[in-house]
Amino acid sequence: MQFRHYTIYKSNFWLFTFNRIIEVVVYISVWKAIYNQTGDAGGFTINQMVTYYVLVTTIKSFALWGTNEDMAHSIRNGKINKELLNPLTYFEYYFGINLGEMAFAFVIGFATFIICSLIWGITLPINFANFLLAILVIILGIPVTFFIQMIVGTVGFYSSSIWGMQIFRKSIISIFSGVIAPITLFPNWFQNLSKILPFKELIYTPVNIWLGQVQTSEIIFVIIKQILWGIFLYIIAKVFFNHAIKKITINGG
Amino acid sequence: MSKILNNIKLYFSFLQASLKEMLVYRLDFIVGIISQIITQAVEVIFIFIVFQNTENLAGWSFKQVLLLYGITLISVGIKTFCTDGLYEFGPKYIKEGEFDKILLRPVHPLISIFGSTKEFVAMGYLVLGIAITIMMLIELSIPITVVLILKILFFSIIGAIIISAINTIFSIASFWTYRSNEVIWSFDRIYTLAQYPLDIYSAVIKILITFILPFAFVAYYPTMSYLGMNKYMIYISPIVAVILWIIAVKVWNLALNKYRSTGS
Repeated sequence: MQFRHYTIYKSNFWLFTFNRIIEVVVYISVWKAIYNQTGDAGGFTINQMVTYYVLVTTIKSFALWGTNEDMAHSIRNGKINKELLNPLTYFEYYFGINLGEMAFAFVIGFATFIICSLIWGITLPINFANFLLAILVIILGIPVTFFIQMIVGTVGFYSSSIWGMQIFRKSIISIFSGVIAPITLFPNWFQNLSKILPFKELIYTPVNIWLGQVQTSEIIFVIIKQILWGIFLYIIAKVFFNHAIKKITINGG
Repeated sequence: MSKILNNIKLYFSFLQASLKEMLVYRLDFIVGIISQIITQAVEVIFIFIVFQNTENLAGWSFKQVLLLYGITLISVGIKTFCTDGLYEFGPKYIKEGEFDKILLRPVHPLISIFGSTKEFVAMGYLVLGIAITIMMLIELSIPITVVLILKILFFSIIGAIIISAINTIFSIASFWTYRSNEVIWSFDRIYTLAQYPLDIYSAVIKILITFILPFAFVAYYPTMSYLGMNKYMIYISPIVAVILWIIAVKVWNLALNKYRSTGS
C-alpha cells in the first residue's frame, strides 16, 4: 500500500535517485582528488573506494527510511485509535508499511546503482557467495532498523518534535554505519564502539563483504550479532510501546 | 522603487508574526536546533577524516576548507531563516487552497510565502557557521577588521539571496505538483557541492555550479577572496544575485498567470 502511495508520484522516483547521486558526487570527487595527490585513498584503492560509496548510496535507504514519521503523526492526530482497532497488531500493521517503504527503497537503490556504475564503474563482488551473504546481512538489518523506528516513533507519545527525533536517528545511523566514510578511518575508540552497536552491519559490513574484506568467521559472528540485536530491540520496542499506550488510555479516560 | 520597499517592509512584519508563533513551542525549538547541529556534525566529521588522509585538498588546507564550510553555513542559515517558507508553498498553500487567500492580499504572493517562514531552527546553522568562521579566521591569522566583517556580512546575505532565488525558480513546480518541496530540496542540496574546492570536480560539475546553478558564488568565490586566492570573482556575486532574481520573478509570474485554483 505504502509502495503504491509512492508510485503515484513518478517524478519522486527520479528526484530521489537524483538526490542520491548528488550526495555521492561529493564523496567520490573528494576521494579521487586525494588519490590523485597521494596515491592512496584511506588504505583502499580508488576503485574500491568508489565502489564503497556507490554501494553505500545504493543500500542507504534500507537503513535510513522507514515509518516512524508516519507513526508519530498518527499518534499526534489521533489516527492511532483507528489503527489499534485493526485486525492486525500494531507492530504487524507498521511492519507491512515498512516493507512497502523498503520496496520503494529497493527500486531507488537499484536505479542509483545502475546509473552510478555507468558513470564511475565499480568492482564486482569477489564471488557469488559473497554477494548472497551481503544481501543476507542487509535483510537481517531490516528488523533492526524497524524496531529502532518503532522505538523512536513511540517517543511521539511524549514529544511533539517528530522531525527533530527523525533527524537525530538518521544522523546517528549515518555516523555509525559508515555512510560518511569507511569505519576503519575513524579513531580506535569509535571503531570499538561500532563493533558493539548494530549500525555498522546495516551498511558498512555488507559493502565490505561485497568487496571481500571480511573473513568468513567474522561473517558468522555478524549474522548472530544481528539476530540478537533484532530480538533485543524487539523486546525494548514492545515494552516501551505497551507502557506508552497505557499512559494514553489513562489520559484519554 | 517605493513599491519594492513597501513589499520588503511587509515581509518583515509577516516574519515577526511567525516568529512569535514558533516561540510558543519552546521545547521543540530547542530539539530542532540540536538536531540541526548534529546533522552538520556529519559533514564536519567527513572533513576531519579527509584531512587525516591528506595534507591539502586541491591546494586547500584543512582550516581553509573549514572556513569555506563556515561561510557557506552562514549563508544557508540566513536563507533558511528568511525564505524557507517556500517549502510550504506546494503542500500547504496550493493543496489546501490557502494560496487564494494570499493572492487577494495587496502584496506580491512571494512576499507572503517568505514571510510565513517558520524555520527558526536556522539559528543552529547561523551560530555554528559564525563560530566556525571566527575560529578559522583566527587560526589562519587573517586579521579580523571591521571591513572584513562587513564584507563577510554583505556577501553572506548576497549568498543567501542567490540560494533563495534558485529555490524560488524551482518552487514553481508547486503549481503542478503538491510535492514541490522535494523538487526544491533536490536542487537546494546542490549547494553542498560548493563546500569543497571546485578543482576536485570534473568539468561538467564545475560548469554546473558556476554557470547553470551558480552555487559557487554563494560562498566559494567570496571565501577565495577572504583567503586572498582570488580577488575579483567575489564582485560578480551581487550581479549573479540580481540576474537570478530577475529570472526568478519573471518565471514565477509566468507560472502564476497560468495557475488555476484547486477549488473552482
